[in-house]
Amino acid sequence: MNLEAVIVGAIVGVAVGWLVRRWLAAARRRKAGGCAGDCGCSAKLKK
Amino acid sequence: MSTPDAGLLVALVGNPNTGKSTLFNALTGLRQRVGNYPGVTVARKSGTCDLGDGQKVELVDLPGLYSLAAASPDEQVVIDVLSGHIAGDRRPDAVLIVADATNLIRNLFLASQVAELGLPVVLVLNQADVAQEQGLRIDTELLSRRLGGVPVILTSAWKGEGILEVRRGLAAALTRRAPLRRVVWPAEIVAALADVAQAASADTGKAIPSADAQRLLFDTNVSTAERLGWTPERREKPLRAARERVRNCGYNPMAAEPLVHYAWLRTALEGVVTEGLGKAGRTSAVDRLLLHRVLGPVFFLGIMLGFFASVFWLAKFPMDWIQLGVDWTKGVVAPSLDPYPMLQSLVADGIIGGVGAFLVFLPQILILFLFIGILEDSGYMARAAFIMDRLFSWCGLNGKSFVPMLSGFACAIPSLLSTRTIEDPKARLATAFVVPFMSCSARFPVYALMCAAFIGPLYGPGWESLVMVGMHCVGLVFAVPTAFVLTRLVLKVKPQPFVLELPRYQLPKPRDVVWRMWQNAAEFVSKAGTVIFAITIVVWALSYFPRDAAVAERIRAAHPTESAELVRARVQAAHVEQSYMGRFGKAVQPVFDPCGFDWKITVGVLASFPAREVIVSTLGVTYSVGEGAEADSQDLRKAMQDAKWPEGPRAGTPIFSLAAVLALMVFFALCSQCGPTVATLAQETGGWKWAAASFVTMTVLAWMVSMVVYQVIIRLT
Repeated sequence: MNLEAVIVGAIVGVAVGWLVRRWLAAARRRKAGGCAGDCGCSAKLKK
Repeated sequence: MSTPDAGLLVALVGNPNTGKSTLFNALTGLRQRVGNYPGVTVARKSGTCDLGDGQKVELVDLPGLYSLAAASPDEQVVIDVLSGHIAGDRRPDAVLIVADATNLIRNLFLASQVAELGLPVVLVLNQADVAQEQGLRIDTELLSRRLGGVPVILTSAWKGEGILEVRRGLAAALTRRAPLRRVVWPAEIVAALADVAQAASADTGKAIPSADAQRLLFDTNVSTAERLGWTPERREKPLRAARERVRNCGYNPMAAEPLVHYAWLRTALEGVVTEGLGKAGRTSAVDRLLLHRVLGPVFFLGIMLGFFASVFWLAKFPMDWIQLGVDWTKGVVAPSLDPYPMLQSLVADGIIGGVGAFLVFLPQILILFLFIGILEDSGYMARAAFIMDRLFSWCGLNGKSFVPMLSGFACAIPSLLSTRTIEDPKARLATAFVVPFMSCSARFPVYALMCAAFIGPLYGPGWESLVMVGMHCVGLVFAVPTAFVLTRLVLKVKPQPFVLELPRYQLPKPRDVVWRMWQNAAEFVSKAGTVIFAITIVVWALSYFPRDAAVAERIRAAHPTESAELVRARVQAAHVEQSYMGRFGKAVQPVFDPCGFDWKITVGVLASFPAREVIVSTLGVTYSVGEGAEADSQDLRKAMQDAKWPEGPRAGTPIFSLAAVLALMVFFALCSQCGPTVATLAQETGGWKWAAASFVTMTVLAWMVSMVVYQVIIRLT
């Protein structure tokens, strides 16, 4: 495997990993009753 | 004299549209969205307020409300904060009540309810400049004496006047800890309240403060009883007896509170407000035109048309500049990667092409939010809600439901959160269900791309804005019957009265409008640099791999006489077609064929389900024509204009015909393509059932309407 393929593979891998991590973090926020949006706010209504 | 300690908490409360958020901004230096329609503040917003001499307090901006009788969830939050029942938040040490100086008696009703909580209070009479303009004179010293010596301060937060006095007043209130003078109740009502407090205390084993006893006695809402743990079986009898006692002294128990409070307030305000000669009536004169039954909607449509025409016209040159920047970057970066074709394609076609195609719409987004800010801050947005309420009330959604729908034109997520202002859970559910139909700003780049590439060049710039307005109406046109079916047939929502306070017209404050524009621009750029960037890389990888070297040989052998450039373009197209994305797109394309979408558009549509704006960068990647070619938005437009069906009955005809362009725009206008919106809907409706129903309804509807549009127009043209 040449260096070019390694670099491209790493970039694509990081992008996929970041998207998955972000999706999991949003799911955790939702589960905790937080805002599911992209705004990063802490909107939360206590029951 | 003792001084207030750092760490003290002050709650900011008041009716909607009293300038509460502007005052909060002035006191804390933080920025906050300044809206003109009720209920704009939903989340907890706080900041540090300097009282002078290094004394600092934490200021919490609470949602605007008219009364402490909680009807909606956000009103309940205010009551919970003020009574110290929000988990993790302490009870405030003082309350800063903001009242509209032009309408004191109505605004002081809330203040008189807050008085029952016994907290130190500072009363701020905002919009003093308007009161003065209207010829109103307010004797703040007399009012302060009547209300128990609490600081009463005149401000004009919009102009920054009186802010220092508010800081001083707050410091004084925290030191003296004087509460507002309480309303004097008739003896029979006092006795009824005592009965309620005693019964509740006996049943729950808790001490019941008078504020809670009042909520238990006067409200039909049971949130206070539930919080105290007073069960329906135990509370029913004592409450009925206490209400009977109130009735016996001549009051309807449900109306006793406002009647007693207003009678008390009328006495307290005697001689406080004197009316002189003012120039009131300017707003009324303008409203006679803008809210006219016939002319109102005409003005509204005209304003919207002008709005979108300006967006196109003003954004043209900055868009070209960004385009030049993207082209320049690509021209510098691509040649340096010549020895590495895979990396070159990733950087040039994928990252720069995809992200650049998205970023080029930044000027239009900026101008869009500039105009939205001007419309909101000038007071026109509330009028728009009023006009739309008249037009759509027949579908079971009143103006209060329409406010989140209107803000859905910016983004569905905060709009879904703002449905918390709707009291009736069924009406709230119906509103939340139709909010995603509203044409949010993420759809804007899709419309803009299609209009700039096809509608403008084919029919002229006037049609661009007309199609834009049309696309923004498509969602509304389908939201209304959907709401009708939901409210009348499925949920059977009872009609509700709608009270909308129309703020006075005012010149938008440039600082607030520019700040909001800046915030949205920052969000747009940050999205381009994060989510769009990552998705672009994934889309590029899926449309690049696998790559079979034999394909190039076969094409060269099959076209020996063609130029090297043409062969290279054919090879590139064949590679994309054989990629994972190409194979997937071709497999799914038959589903979208009746809508006129080829496999590349299909790929774009499918990739856009997590976030609809991804279509632009996806098309930027899939329509990139060969290594080193400029897959920027200008070239994307050109590549889309030149794209033709390669085979089948439509072979040789443009893929992006008028029918396909309109079908694609309609699909994006109606389809549920936003992961966070679906998740927020699930969160706000308490489960995935309604979110799934919304997703399926919108997506099926989008496909059907898009198919009808394509099939009808293709036969007519």
